[in-house]
Amino acid sequence: MKQFDFFAGKQLSGKQVSRRQLLAGTAALGSVFAAAGLTGCGGTASAAAVRDIAFWHLLSGGDGIKMQAMIRAANGANPGFKVHPTVLAWGPPYYTKLAMASAGGRPPELAIMHASRVPGYAPGGLIDPWDMSLLAEHGVTAESFAPRIWDKSQHDGNVFSIALDSHPFVMFYNTDVAGKAGVLAANGQLQEVTSPQDFLAMAREMQKVTQAHGLSFGYLGSGSQMWRLFYTLYKQHGADMELTPGQPMKADRDAAVESLAFMASLFDDTVAAKSGDIGTGIAEFARGGSGMLFSGVWELPTFKKADLPVDAATIPTLYGTPASYADSHSFVLPRQLNVDDEKRRDVYKFVSDMLKGSLSWAEAGHIPAYQPIVQSQAYRELTPQIHYASAADIIAYDPEAWFSGSGSDWQTYFAENVQNVLLGRDKAADGWDAFVRRTNTLLSRPNPV
Amino acid sequence: MSSLATSQGAEQTAQSMPGQPRRNPFPNSASGSETSSPRRTRDNVNGWGFAAPFLAFFLVFLVWPLLYGLYMSLTGKSLTGANDSLIGLANYAEALADADMWHSLGNTLYFTVISTVPLVLVALAMAALVNVGLPAQWLWRLSYFAPYLLASTVVSLFFSWMYNPQLGLINDSLAKIGLPKVAWLNDPNVAMWSIVIATLWWTVGFNFLLYLAAMQNIPAQHYEAASLDGAGAWRQFFSITLPQLTPTTVMIALLQILASLKIFDQVYQMTAGGPAGSTRPVVQYIFETGFTGYRLGYSAAISYIFFGLIVAVSAMQFFITRRRSA
Repeated sequence: MKQFDFFAGKQLSGKQVSRRQLLAGTAALGSVFAAAGLTGCGGTASAAAVRDIAFWHLLSGGDGIKMQAMIRAANGANPGFKVHPTVLAWGPPYYTKLAMASAGGRPPELAIMHASRVPGYAPGGLIDPWDMSLLAEHGVTAESFAPRIWDKSQHDGNVFSIALDSHPFVMFYNTDVAGKAGVLAANGQLQEVTSPQDFLAMAREMQKVTQAHGLSFGYLGSGSQMWRLFYTLYKQHGADMELTPGQPMKADRDAAVESLAFMASLFDDTVAAKSGDIGTGIAEFARGGSGMLFSGVWELPTFKKADLPVDAATIPTLYGTPASYADSHSFVLPRQLNVDDEKRRDVYKFVSDMLKGSLSWAEAGHIPAYQPIVQSQAYRELTPQIHYASAADIIAYDPEAWFSGSGSDWQTYFAENVQNVLLGRDKAADGWDAFVRRTNTLLSRPNPV
Repeated sequence: MSSLATSQGAEQTAQSMPGQPRRNPFPNSASGSETSSPRRTRDNVNGWGFAAPFLAFFLVFLVWPLLYGLYMSLTGKSLTGANDSLIGLANYAEALADADMWHSLGNTLYFTVISTVPLVLVALAMAALVNVGLPAQWLWRLSYFAPYLLASTVVSLFFSWMYNPQLGLINDSLAKIGLPKVAWLNDPNVAMWSIVIATLWWTVGFNFLLYLAAMQNIPAQHYEAASLDGAGAWRQFFSITLPQLTPTTVMIALLQILASLKIFDQVYQMTAGGPAGSTRPVVQYIFETGFTGYRLGYSAAISYIFFGLIVAVSAMQFFITRRRSA
């Protein structure tokens, strides 16, 4: 089974195989075959008892290391099967390969998807629904999930995804900078601000401390980043967005334009850098060049590692309705040409073990979807995770369509139409209208799933 | 027909000459059927045997996908397998009315125009400089050609860092001499040029080598004669070097046009088609509609429209070179 370890990539082992090891391995393999030959067919029964489960995911960096440790723990607890992960690059490369493998009928037994991408896979038959009675055998039921997360796993009356977490877009802040700027409340956390003007004023106070910027937000060239903040602000207006193929997009134009205009007002080289991409935004915050950062919860390990005095909170409610863009890493069953029932039962056991072990996933910043973990004392003691745990109640997933969701082309089209708004070159209304036109083109075309 | 008869007559003569083995470099069925000697049959079998691996690859990986793609472009086929019924030319009609298709095709043509000119002229200038007889020629040749050996991912990463608006080497250097920062990959008016600069640095070495080889083939006597007539270096360059290089220039320009039309890698890695779609080439649009947009049939139709464009350029190349050699 060692050969799978090579495909699992660098997380398992960075060691090179020497010629001597290779020869020794080949010799050992030869002796195994020889032994099998001597003992006849019955001789290999014990080796075949361990079933190999292929598992694809898109978690790299700190997330990937945590995921690898969780897989190793689950494998250790289940001698009957061994899960072999394959890590693919986030975004179009991952989703393209998963769709093609499923269309070809030979996908992995289990995969991770963003919950927001499921509407692009479920109707086309690329993934199979989950049998909740099999999960219930391991103690996982609908009640194990927060309502918003559970609702998101449904499609046409079936459960198509089992969420491991929710990972909202949040605000990190540097407690040193905030303290010096005098914007900390009595409880040591950032003061609450409730309007765009208050937020800008707070950022300017922080800028006086850092002498660089008050807020870091890298967005250039990243449709995901622009969309995450925009959708958070848009949903804070209490507005909805609906994408129905064959019909024009339904959205609140005023809320959208106001959100975009506010975003553009951030990039004045005082509140935030005019030209920053995601990497420079994170680097600036990590070296203390700003007081706040808008980013995903998954960045938390980076700042802990940098020994930054960091705390976190949900994005301030600037327009009345608490809301936060989020997505969930969810387990899905890619459609097999021939389902191996035993392996599928193993998959259910593995997924339930992963949910129950998701406290270590919470350490990577994510909010666990499995409620017994969220309610555990151990989770309550995790800071700053517990300071934004309430985000699970206000999260907003992408509007559903076959083309929307994390890392989709739709987010790229958003960037194409609004980046110039954020750079101060286009009017917010023009950028929004152009995005609506692009979306309407997609909605008017034949639905391929 | 008469030339075929003549050549066969010559072959038979050659065959009858003792001690001189006959080899027909272009065996064909006509000659094969006319002479049925066991040796000729064996030669044919051997010939097909040697060609078989290539033919198999050619049929499986070129001819079959070409035909299947054409068929697919006439269906509504999706990546999920849905709607694979024939829909006639509907995909072509949709593509011709698709503003994004035209925009991406326009970007490809724009890149082709603005990259081909410097890739030819800079290569010529570099080759001329090296050919003048600078010392340490191997060093120039190596340093001009070395970037060509790098993978597109390496070049893209390298330039992405150099172009970084905040931390990049280029903006840092501009700031030091008091010039404003440029949003190299984030300004729709600049991004394509940034990619051209990266492409120029990366690939100009190949054209440089072709030019250098051609220059070194120009007989030295031409220059000697010109010197005796009092022609200076510039006069010699414009009156001898350039005219002698014309066939090379035509070849380089056309090869470059075809290479530039296929632009994809560096754009996808440096800007992913942005900002505002200003660098998205048609190959990326084909990829997006087919693989991330699931519409394989529609994507195949755009591929065939682009294929038509490349065939047109290749045909132009054929006619230009044929006219030159006639």
